[in-house]
Amino acid sequence: MSVLPDGAPGNSRMMTSRQMALWRFTRNPAAMIGAVIVISVVTAAILAPWLAPSPESAGAFVDFRNRHAPPSADNPMGTDNVGRDIFSRVLFGYRVSLGLVLGVLGVAVPLGVVLGLCAGYFGGWIETIIMRFTDIMLALPPLAMALAITAVLSPNLINAMIAITLLWWTWHTRLIYRIVKAQMNEDYVEAAKVAGASHGHILFRELLPNCIPAIAVKTSLDAGFVILFGASLSFLGLGIQPPTPDLGTMVATGAEYMPEMWWQAVMPGLAILYAILGFNLLGDGLRDMLDVEL
Amino acid sequence: MSAPPLLQVDRLTIGFRSYGQQPRILHDVSLEVGVGERVALIGQSGSGKTVTMRAIIGTLPMPPGIVEGGAIRYDGRSLLELSRADRNRLKGTGISIILQDPMLSFNPVLTVGRQMDDIVRYADIRLGRRRRAADRRQHIVQTLEKVQLAEGGRILGSYPFQLSGGMRQRVLIGMALLNAPRLLIADEPGTALDVTTQDEILALLNRLVAEEGLSLLLINHNLGVVRETADRVYVMEKGRIVESGTRDAIFSHPTHPYTRKLMAAVPPLYGAGVTTVRNTRAGDMPAIAIEGVSKDFLTRGGWLNWVTGRFPAVRDVSLQIAPGDIFGIAGESGSGKTTLAKMILGLIQPSAGDIRVEDRAVSVFAGTEEFRKLIQIVYQNPGSSLNPRRTVGDQLAVPLKFTGHAGARIPGQVRALLEMVDLPADYASMYPHELSGGQKQRVAIARALSVRPRILVLDEPTSALDVLVQSTVIELLHRLREEFDLTYVFISHDLSLMRNFCNRVAVMLRGEVVEQGPVAQIFDTPRHPYTRALLSAIPVISEAEAAQKPKITN
Repeated sequence: MSVLPDGAPGNSRMMTSRQMALWRFTRNPAAMIGAVIVISVVTAAILAPWLAPSPESAGAFVDFRNRHAPPSADNPMGTDNVGRDIFSRVLFGYRVSLGLVLGVLGVAVPLGVVLGLCAGYFGGWIETIIMRFTDIMLALPPLAMALAITAVLSPNLINAMIAITLLWWTWHTRLIYRIVKAQMNEDYVEAAKVAGASHGHILFRELLPNCIPAIAVKTSLDAGFVILFGASLSFLGLGIQPPTPDLGTMVATGAEYMPEMWWQAVMPGLAILYAILGFNLLGDGLRDMLDVEL
Repeated sequence: MSAPPLLQVDRLTIGFRSYGQQPRILHDVSLEVGVGERVALIGQSGSGKTVTMRAIIGTLPMPPGIVEGGAIRYDGRSLLELSRADRNRLKGTGISIILQDPMLSFNPVLTVGRQMDDIVRYADIRLGRRRRAADRRQHIVQTLEKVQLAEGGRILGSYPFQLSGGMRQRVLIGMALLNAPRLLIADEPGTALDVTTQDEILALLNRLVAEEGLSLLLINHNLGVVRETADRVYVMEKGRIVESGTRDAIFSHPTHPYTRKLMAAVPPLYGAGVTTVRNTRAGDMPAIAIEGVSKDFLTRGGWLNWVTGRFPAVRDVSLQIAPGDIFGIAGESGSGKTTLAKMILGLIQPSAGDIRVEDRAVSVFAGTEEFRKLIQIVYQNPGSSLNPRRTVGDQLAVPLKFTGHAGARIPGQVRALLEMVDLPADYASMYPHELSGGQKQRVAIARALSVRPRILVLDEPTSALDVLVQSTVIELLHRLREEFDLTYVFISHDLSLMRNFCNRVAVMLRGEVVEQGPVAQIFDTPRHPYTRALLSAIPVISEAEAAQKPKITN
């Protein structure tokens, strides 16, 4: 290596920051457990038709001879009130839950991020309009709002998705707004202006990359909460409708048979817990790894 | 046989466990501080000064820090073997510390009085003493008098932000003295302050050591400061003490090459070593003409956000900067020099007056592509002016992309730019945090020059850098000026540097230019009392230079 001015950036024994971040992540047992859980949930959802012992249970299938069967080798989580295999329905239920997560966050995160970027960067009346509207949306009680929206529209997966999306972007707007405001004091924003960069360049090339770690962490934590929120709506009868296998609906139906046939409510409930736990542990692990404050 | 030293660090070796590795940070560091002695530990950032200091006061985080060998003895007791409680009993009462940043050392939401009282109260508890609140207060006021703060009552009732930087630093010294320590450790005292204030703080420290019989361990990187406040000096490089000796020996006959390099990198203020830069380019049209420019900042508040106050940042400034000049704008913080620079760049509009760059009014010229190709800026802190999440290459490409350069040719131009500032071309794929401070500033300079401007505004471009790195960056700037016929506007508070780098200087005080002229004239025959005060406050590294500084009588 040739002699560099002002000293080499570090000796060969030092790791790059990316390696260090990965090292921190792999040394964090909670984060690794979270990652394993999330991978297992995603795999289960994708491979549900092949993994499920009884794929027909996912639909309007009835097997009265086998109803209310407790957990056994054939039915690891027991069967429900019409004899469907709960384990199979949980696997398919993850498909619905993850679909909901993708649909909601796929719209809410980009929307919230762009609004937050614009509010923080442009300031003035743009900031006032965006942030005051965000405040109004944040002031509405989310579950009550979602119930109202799905009650006015008809209760189904798409409308549940729309209702949750309408309420979700606000958190990202607030988060990104705060990060951008802090960045506006940094010289590199002014340097880009002096260099003649366009607004689009400054927003998406200079400011956005500095928001990515926070967005990654927040989105991971969000995924768990969206699953929970969707399940809550379904539990109240305003989300996904039978016979689509949804974890919230399954808990609601199973609750009628508590406590004797506990598995009908507890098993889907545990499935929800498992997925949320995974996303939260992963999110916390990412937060430590990327060193962001939310 | 002389008296045993008050503090003795004996072959101290410290490692840091991080990411599965254990690099060694300190190698066999030995130093001594005698009773009533002033000792300085100097070295660049990252040399291990602060780790040594924290090991002495017991605030080094362990783990990850590990003492691999050696001992620290205070007054004959081995500090590393003391119990936690015994060690804490020494804090403030045996060894006390003055931290670097007077703002960060205070809790902003508590009054100064409350914070000082806490120090006395908890020390009393540790030592099993009892005192009434009124007695403690009287003790605090007396201590503040020692640090030349007469209005003790008023200061105790204020919050840190209500005090000036110099007052905060004095209060901080007062805090360190509250429990009558025998050893005072000062970590870069006054570094964050203006040179005239720093001078007062150093004089105060010297007086305290003499009057109170204290011992002083000074941690510093500024050789000038060390010369004024130390009897003995230790030089540290990469975790090792490379040279030690009395102040006079070190400053007049440095033997270790590292010490010599450090000394040589300090720009001399007077004497044979001074280089006087001349502008050989002749031009009849000024590169920048500033006519009667003022800028008022308005404070708004209250009902309907009406204007409630007016703060004049720049007042009626007129300057002519010729093509090829390295024009220095000197002044302390708050003097308006950065505001003036931003007006030259058209980033803020003057309240009154006219700025013309190459005979075109900035008020209409700014924002055009032609203007950007004419004048660019290098910021003070490359840590802030480079985007931490974009590669060096991406950032160098920005000005090119927005001045209509063809996309396909940009990577080649980026490589050429890196070579121009003596960096390897493959640095284009690196992120700023992988580079050292000096390398980052080189990237910032390359970015400013990417569109081949004729004028460069340099806003304290070396103040965030160590002195050795500073000299290489200055060298680079000189070379680039020759190569590209550049005109520099150089904003700084470092007058020694300006003496050697600029050919003309303007001195600003509270928004006004009090004196301007060729550099030799300003430094050799300063006329304005403020210029004289500034020059006399600069810490220099030789007796000969100190003798040539203008004398001021108090």
